[in-house]
Amino acid sequence: MKTIILIFVVLMGLFLLYGTMDMPGWGDPNSPASTWVSPRYIEQALEKTETPNLVTAVLGDYRGYDTMGETTVIFTAAIACALLLRGATGNRRKEDE
Amino acid sequence: MLEFVISKYNFWVYVILMMIGLYAMLAKRNLVKKLIGMNIFQTAIILFYVSIGVKKGPVQVPIILTEHGHVVQAIRATDYLNPLPHVLMLTAIVVSIATTGVALAVLILIYRRYQTLNEDEILALRQQRRETGA
Amino acid sequence: MVQQFPALIVVIPLMAALFMVPLGYFNRRLCHPWLVLILAATSTMAVGIMGQVILHGPISYRMGGWQPPWGIEYHIDQLNALMLILISGSGLLGAVYSGPSFAREIDGRQTMASSLYLMMITGLSGIVITGDLFNVFVFLEIASLSVYGLIACGGGDAPLATFRYIIMGTIGASCYLLGVGYLYISTGSLNLMDLNRLLPELYHTRVVLTAGALMLVGISLKMALFPLHAWLPEAYYEAPSAVSGVAAPLYTKVAGYLVIRIVYNLFDFHFFTRIFPILEILSWLAIIALLVGSLYAIAQTDLKKMLCYSVIAQVGYIVLGIALANRAGFSGAILTIINEVCTKSCIFLATGAIIYRVGDSRIVNLGSLFRRMPITMLAFTVGVFSMIGIPPTLGFFSKLYLIFACLEAGRWSFIAALLLSTILNVVYFFRVIRVACFEDPRPDYQRTEPYPEVAVEEAPLLMLLPVVAAAGAIILTGLGSHWIFLNLIRPIIPAGF
Repeated sequence: MKTIILIFVVLMGLFLLYGTMDMPGWGDPNSPASTWVSPRYIEQALEKTETPNLVTAVLGDYRGYDTMGETTVIFTAAIACALLLRGATGNRRKEDE
Repeated sequence: MLEFVISKYNFWVYVILMMIGLYAMLAKRNLVKKLIGMNIFQTAIILFYVSIGVKKGPVQVPIILTEHGHVVQAIRATDYLNPLPHVLMLTAIVVSIATTGVALAVLILIYRRYQTLNEDEILALRQQRRETGA
Repeated sequence: MVQQFPALIVVIPLMAALFMVPLGYFNRRLCHPWLVLILAATSTMAVGIMGQVILHGPISYRMGGWQPPWGIEYHIDQLNALMLILISGSGLLGAVYSGPSFAREIDGRQTMASSLYLMMITGLSGIVITGDLFNVFVFLEIASLSVYGLIACGGGDAPLATFRYIIMGTIGASCYLLGVGYLYISTGSLNLMDLNRLLPELYHTRVVLTAGALMLVGISLKMALFPLHAWLPEAYYEAPSAVSGVAAPLYTKVAGYLVIRIVYNLFDFHFFTRIFPILEILSWLAIIALLVGSLYAIAQTDLKKMLCYSVIAQVGYIVLGIALANRAGFSGAILTIINEVCTKSCIFLATGAIIYRVGDSRIVNLGSLFRRMPITMLAFTVGVFSMIGIPPTLGFFSKLYLIFACLEAGRWSFIAALLLSTILNVVYFFRVIRVACFEDPRPDYQRTEPYPEVAVEEAPLLMLLPVVAAAGAIILTGLGSHWIFLNLIRPIIPAGF
């Protein structure tokens, strides 16, 4: 079983490496990622959001909706843990009695 | 050739890291080790994204220098790192932590029920319990 | 107000989930009415959005007012609006049902469970409404985390099943995220419409090809497409009835929706048929899924487990429709999604009601159930008819479209497989109906006096009502299938078929 998984994992890795072959090089300032959406953030964020930290500006304003989702994820995880663990201690007490 | 390797090795390293994580998730029999594999996998993706944001050359971290509310020098996009991947990964890190938290809570429940975290032992125990009808 | 519905439909359940916690702390009995109220509100809003889309065409909603590829955009067309109605409608039925169901199965923990239930609806609505690929990932995780919690609280072997689901679900979500990263590095954008415009120039690059494959693999894991289905039956089997009655109809179909978006809206489907023929592979996997799922279902002795395998078989129908890539296939896939949500809601909720009264769901224990729970079993039978595809239920029309699609693509062997799986459907569902209709409860040999008359003993009204409503929805959508096709499916059929 472990050999099969190893072969599968290696194949998957080779596939991912195949995909990296014609990626723009690491740190290339002319790559699409650096030239299409992001320059506008850098050039306009200070003027539009009054925030010198660009990461904060994008996090809290341009993509603020994602950030709401992020806090929601944490809230969900907290509720899920509360649901699971509170019940578990309850069961144990019952067993102890 | 060497230039090609230098421009790509960063991505290759994250692929290797990711495969280590994936192998641990699928092959390890201890549930905690699976969970750690999951963390390695997610961290590798985070590294990949962060490396998208890099620009070589004389660039600054994405914080614009201001003095008394005025910009020190004209803002040019080529002078700062790409902030978007950083933003995305802040979210992804939180998601990965939240998943780990829930998984750990589930592991506590599993341990309380079977008194072990080894998958083979759990499956054997479950089979035994089903046969005895408990 | 109506203009703000797209944002409110996600935000209202989210805020309500937050308020659920203090509310439940104050008085636990308020949780259930609050849950039902909120889902009734989201259902109304979903219908409002649908009305707007039909009357005025697709809605574009900019989050925070930022212009699209820079900010997050909602682009809502008929398919989004349809998915929203299905999610909030099925969510409403499950919410009504959850009152007595939670009280029986996880008593004392209703507050947290109801709160998570709302988060689940938030997450699912967020996935189907957004037009931003990274935003899809965030909401995918909200939906997944909440359902992990809800399944794991089912007791018994549920935590182990959940852990496997967590591992598989995380691999799926991570593959999707990685695919999005590959697209981002080659285009610099995350917006669906924007990517659709940017990608055609890059179709021949290896990185885009890998990205497409990664996203499809990730979503297939979430969708439980054969051979990535192993996590599903156990997870949904162990979940509390109200949870499996909502998660089983919705999760795999929302993933199906994402596949439709990836294949037809993000990429052009010609990319997947000519340059990178992954649809060919998907169509074969779909055929295997619908046969294997049905065969596994026949092998089960437990009703609920049988239904879980039936979910896997139905995923095959959806993927088959998508993968055939023609008009009839596309329509068939969407009709199957609608049909699946209605039928699986009906059948899973009915099964939950049976478990509530009978105690478990092993098929041998279901004797003379038609006399004991006539209304539940009637609704169950309507669901079974739609599953098999007997007119006038929607199941008939969805299968008809799929068969037309196979004809159009010239795939005769697929038609044979579809008909065979229909026969298998008949076999495994009628086994249940035969036991429930004609067999008495298991004889007790210790007993000397005659058996008592079987008394009518339905599930509580709050559980019965959703089951009947879902059965009504099956017949209604079946009768209105032509309207659905004209108003909801025809406007969104991609150009180029």
